[in-house]
Amino acid sequence: MDLTFTAAEEEFRSELRSWLSANIPDEWRRPGFWESLPDEESFRLRRDWERDKALAGFAGIQWPTEFGGRGGTPGMKAIYDVEMVLADAPRTVNPLGLTFLAPTVMAIGTDAQKKEIIGPMLRNEVIWCQGFSEPGAGSDLAALSTRGVRDGDDFVVNGQKVWTTNAVHGDKIFTLVRTEPGSQKHRGISMLLIDMHQPGVDARPLKQMSGASEFGEVFFDDARVPATDVLGEIGEGWRTAMLLLSFERGASGISQYTEFRRQYDEIAAVAKKLGRDTDPVIRNKLARVLTELECLRLHSMHVLTQTERGRDLGFEASMTKLQWSEAFQDLWEVYDDVLGEDDTLEALGDLDLRPLSAQAMWSRSVTIWGGSSQVQRNVTAERVLGLPR
Amino acid sequence: MFFALTEDQQEFGAAVTTYLAERFDMEAVRRVFEDADGDGNPGSLWKAAAEQGWLAVTVPEEHDGLGLGLVEAQVIARALGAGVAPGPWRGTVLAAEAIRLAGSDEQKAAWLPRLASGDAIGAVGLRGDAPGVVPAVEYGAIADVVVVRTPDGLGLATGAQATPVGSYDRTTRLATLDVAEVEPLPDDAAAQLTARATVLVAADLVGIAREALSRTVAYDREREQFGVPVGSFQALKHALADIHVGVTMAEHAALYAAHAVDAGLDDVELAVAVAKAKASDVALQSTAAMIQYHGGIGYTWEHESHFFYKRAKRLAGLYGGVDQHRERIAALTL
Repeated sequence: MDLTFTAAEEEFRSELRSWLSANIPDEWRRPGFWESLPDEESFRLRRDWERDKALAGFAGIQWPTEFGGRGGTPGMKAIYDVEMVLADAPRTVNPLGLTFLAPTVMAIGTDAQKKEIIGPMLRNEVIWCQGFSEPGAGSDLAALSTRGVRDGDDFVVNGQKVWTTNAVHGDKIFTLVRTEPGSQKHRGISMLLIDMHQPGVDARPLKQMSGASEFGEVFFDDARVPATDVLGEIGEGWRTAMLLLSFERGASGISQYTEFRRQYDEIAAVAKKLGRDTDPVIRNKLARVLTELECLRLHSMHVLTQTERGRDLGFEASMTKLQWSEAFQDLWEVYDDVLGEDDTLEALGDLDLRPLSAQAMWSRSVTIWGGSSQVQRNVTAERVLGLPR
Repeated sequence: MFFALTEDQQEFGAAVTTYLAERFDMEAVRRVFEDADGDGNPGSLWKAAAEQGWLAVTVPEEHDGLGLGLVEAQVIARALGAGVAPGPWRGTVLAAEAIRLAGSDEQKAAWLPRLASGDAIGAVGLRGDAPGVVPAVEYGAIADVVVVRTPDGLGLATGAQATPVGSYDRTTRLATLDVAEVEPLPDDAAAQLTARATVLVAADLVGIAREALSRTVAYDREREQFGVPVGSFQALKHALADIHVGVTMAEHAALYAAHAVDAGLDDVELAVAVAKAKASDVALQSTAAMIQYHGGIGYTWEHESHFFYKRAKRLAGLYGGVDQHRERIAALTL
């Protein structure tokens, strides 16, 4: 057993810490700061800050240096995930691009795609959206019906995507499109890299139950995309999508643990303020959630151990998602129990409850996106336990 | 970062699992379970525990032990739990740990080699103040030496008067002891011993939980109703998937707690409480699911489900139940 990081990894931690402490304004750490900004301004601030961070060498931690990455270890990525949370660093504005698209392009992209996509993404010159879900294709993604018809050197795309993160801020969207007319299910799909700044693409915000509009819907009305802007082979989009989604498997959950553990302390502070920290039922419920969070921390060490040894966790990734998303949701359900009759948006003395309530609302979403808990349980039962389909 | 068992540690566990599968299967467990008169310590299994080093695991090499840690001990505990194996292994290992941690040189020399070789049987009874009545000690009736709690710490009791105590869990035998004389252990290691005992019980529960799940999955892949395997129904799939996640987390928690004890980590108290709370919780779920998802056969005496369920129920409360450990977790984090 060795739960430490290497000297080089710890050196990386201290470099990152110094940079973060020198480059995050105090004001940004004030609770409620980000919520107080108009969406446009919040996005622009984060976009610029993240670009500066990348230029300072703190992006693409595990990417090869030839792609502008740092060439770091899985341990460095884990350290990065933790330190970003501890420093109250702004969230990335390019999550789908950085997590999914970039490694897929590195793996199967053409030389031109590698050159044109990865650098500009790292510098946040291009914000990428993911065009997978449709109104009629959610968990059953292969039911998608957005279609692309070949017209000379282009595909002409018609259809609709939904639940698109950063839809209104997006510059380009990697999109699953049915390019073989009449094809069924997983066949005849291509992954097209579509420019969103054209008359045939209309992105509209969707207001979430939390009141925020982090995602939206994207309408394609004779949108054009050059046939060279296909990622992977034409007609093999499903295979490309599966490869793309596999890059989430290395995610350890340490980022979520670090964030949720701090939230646990915030909820504990509210409980103390209200004198409910002595209520045995509340104590029991909080401890139950803390138990799950600790298990998440240990699980992240397990995942890191495996990835450091080059092992693909495969379908075990479903377990990581279930553990963090269900624990997070449980945590915020206990928050409501803690508030009791004080469940309002009014401040409790110097404690602003609005950011906490926003988290409580957000917690309803995490068991849906990225593969719902029900889908994850199917995967776990069938692919890990081997129960019949 | 290396949060996993080494190959040697895995092999140690696999050796126990293999032995039980080949030499002490469910039929052997059943014979002990149904034996109204026996002492619950089948000779062949005890001999194997001695010969294969399961008893010597944490005893220092200078006292004829293997000099390994609680991480290795929890590997054995997990395998024994998975086999719902009877016998005073845990009590013997823990008695040796108490003497190692708190005993004098003479006490160590007198007991450790005998406990490591299986020549002497150990037990632990940490409830009540000795001298006096010590309730429901595992294998208290056949122990040569019992570690008991005294007003000053820990002590050794020999020759106590034993009265058998009934339990649904017949994979273990219990006895209440009337302890007349106690030989004190010079150093106070009650808290350290309790932590070790708690981790080993948690590991046993983790083993039970994993095996109960595996057996249920195997059965539900084959058992057909409505013309299809019942394991193809989502109602079962989702429940079993959740149990798999829970058992995996409990495995992490037991391993980490054992390491935290061995390495003296700062968060050892929290780690032990998390391990026991999680292991108890998930073992109760998994063994209840074993009965439910075997259907009627799972509720019969002839099926092995009840060995797992009854052992899990008893161990879930031992050294603090789920709620007591949650209160400890709350106290440490609020």
